[in-house]
Amino acid sequence: MSPSESPQYGDRLLVLHALRCAGYSGIARVSAATGLDESDVESELIDLALDGHVTRLGGEFGGWGLTEAGRAADAERIGHELDSAGARPAVTASYERFMVLNPELLDLCTAWQLRPVDGVTTINDHGDSAYDARVLDRFTELHDRVVPICGELAAALPRFARYRTRLADALDRARKGELEYVADGIGSYHTVWAELHEDLLATLGISRW
Amino acid sequence: MVRWVRPLSARPDETAEVLGAKAHGLVTLHRLGLPVPPGFVVTTEACRAFLHRGRLPDGLHAELTTAMGGLETATGRRFGGTRTPLAVSVRSGASVSMPGMMDTILNLGLTTDATTALAAETGDAWFALESRSRLLSTFAAALTGGAADSGVLARRDTADGPARLTSEIAAIEAVIERRHGRAVPDDALAQLELAVETVFSSWDTPRARTYRELHGIPHDLGTAVIVQAMVYGNRDEHSGTGVAFSRDPNTGENVPFGDVLFAHQGDDVVSGRTPTRPLRELGAREPAVWAALVDALARIERHDRDACYVEFTFQSGELWLLQARPGRFVGGAAVRVATELADEGLITRQEALLRVSPQHLRHARTPRIAPSAQADILARGIGACPGTAVGKIATTTDAAIRMAVDGPVILVRPETSPHDMAGLAAAAGIVTARGGAASHAAVVARAMAKPAVVGIGDLAVGPTGIRADGRFIGAGTLVTIDGTSGEVALGSPGIVTDTADAHLRRLLTWADEVSGDQSEREEAERLAAAQAALRQARSS
Repeated sequence: MSPSESPQYGDRLLVLHALRCAGYSGIARVSAATGLDESDVESELIDLALDGHVTRLGGEFGGWGLTEAGRAADAERIGHELDSAGARPAVTASYERFMVLNPELLDLCTAWQLRPVDGVTTINDHGDSAYDARVLDRFTELHDRVVPICGELAAALPRFARYRTRLADALDRARKGELEYVADGIGSYHTVWAELHEDLLATLGISRW
Repeated sequence: MVRWVRPLSARPDETAEVLGAKAHGLVTLHRLGLPVPPGFVVTTEACRAFLHRGRLPDGLHAELTTAMGGLETATGRRFGGTRTPLAVSVRSGASVSMPGMMDTILNLGLTTDATTALAAETGDAWFALESRSRLLSTFAAALTGGAADSGVLARRDTADGPARLTSEIAAIEAVIERRHGRAVPDDALAQLELAVETVFSSWDTPRARTYRELHGIPHDLGTAVIVQAMVYGNRDEHSGTGVAFSRDPNTGENVPFGDVLFAHQGDDVVSGRTPTRPLRELGAREPAVWAALVDALARIERHDRDACYVEFTFQSGELWLLQARPGRFVGGAAVRVATELADEGLITRQEALLRVSPQHLRHARTPRIAPSAQADILARGIGACPGTAVGKIATTTDAAIRMAVDGPVILVRPETSPHDMAGLAAAAGIVTARGGAASHAAVVARAMAKPAVVGIGDLAVGPTGIRADGRFIGAGTLVTIDGTSGEVALGSPGIVTDTADAHLRRLLTWADEVSGDQSEREEAERLAAAQAALRQARSS
């Protein structure tokens, strides 16, 4: 077995790539993104730090993040993973379908946060549960259309399966009344969606600007 | 018998339900004697027939051919012709406002041959090719639901500009073929039919359906299609395009306000892809266009008896109006406009009271950069989350996290991605060069209740600082941002919460006179009491 096929190597790349897609994160967040135990995540982070690929920033808003070397290593390994699985055409096609849905997701997040009252765009105070339910219904409808895309991605590269689980979980929580799971917290639908967007860009080597 | 098409002129007495609000507004401009490119409207009824049957209604083909013949006569040009070719814009326009939800296609009719003819006629190959490239990119966006930028950076001022444009055109054509399965036809009338069909279909895209669901708009209204002779903002250096309010939408002050883009076409302003210039620069560069625009704004205001918004293009020094609608001002600006319109005698004091909603009063109290302060404005973008924030510029998430330990930080990024989440959390305010009011940065800023300015075209972000307004400003420099007006100012100018105080006091005095109640109450209550009294008087 070559080093790149070993399970340890796979977990390490998952952790490295989670930081590439999510930015500075704590261990719990990397664990949620990868589906690995927190203790495994911590152990991988320590090894990655020894390689000079990740670093820890202190302060209230700090966490684990990639170094320049880590970013380069991620790009190389993720590109290798994509091409050795022969998945580039499938992921490219899924990316294009995802990008058609992306403006709809941003519209919905905006509608969740702002709504016109007497013609004035106003912060949604979530006092009108009928309006919130209408927006959440549209989220559910959009979710039904992104699920097949997640399925295609997971078929091409298994690590993409986590997004389907995480998106479904965020929507489920929001529908049960945890409203911060729509667009507010790090586990919110908007955040997970944005990580998926970033993951597709990173995987295909597309630059944002 | 003509069923589906109406001329765009001062004549027809059709409702906005049939013509769509945009075309209805253009008819009003005609009646005011203002310059509107000649054109015609395919009615909302034709759209409903299309949506019902899944294909364009019988007879529309013949009517389009006839209407296009009329447009050729009016302009003295030939649609898809190999000499003096006529090109048209094709825009959606429903009877209700659905901003940014439906499609626009520009430069339609520029087939390969017509593009060659336009280049020969104008002696400007660049202009003709850029116009064809725009036709294909607007078609690509409409047909495939995604942008089709080829990534080719063509510039007018380089020798290989036309060659680069030619490869850009080939790249966009390839994207359309791959995603749509078919090429855009190289026949002008076939392009027109496809464009009408595409705009009609855009009524039913998931985005548009969602918008209607959330805003309680019926799904069966349909949209009209406006077909007008192109005026080219990219024609020469005396051409350009812009948007203008008759009064300043940030303060309500009675001065024209807006953005202008010299030597570019219309959708560049709205998309925010290209840096715009403040409208007042039009006065210095094109005084005749400016004078015509100021006159048009005044005439529309007098007709509407309200502040207005227009979209315009000027071609070789001649002004054309493409759209007009009410200004829809909010907050303190709404208070000031209503009060001043009453002072000017355009509306009564009672009407002024009814035009300001109690919601506006709440917004009038949002902290703002003081208009009187001699603030050094570095940049202006879209206000994405209201409020003001003062802090030192950080241009990376790492820097924002480090600097936030010592004091407030304004995170300035080209645009944001998940990588910036920690930086967004650490910052007191957010500024981005790209994106609109629904961008990632805007959504996150509102979730975190942080003032944000997005979509500043004229902003470059580097590792050691930013460039805006032609100036380099180093990271660590103190700036103030206003998430209502979208302004970014150097240093810490004064902040106020009573921008419309004098006007608000007068309006509330009128309110108390109407309600007859002089007691001490909340501002919104005083206004609501007057409105209730006025509505009761009207209904009895």
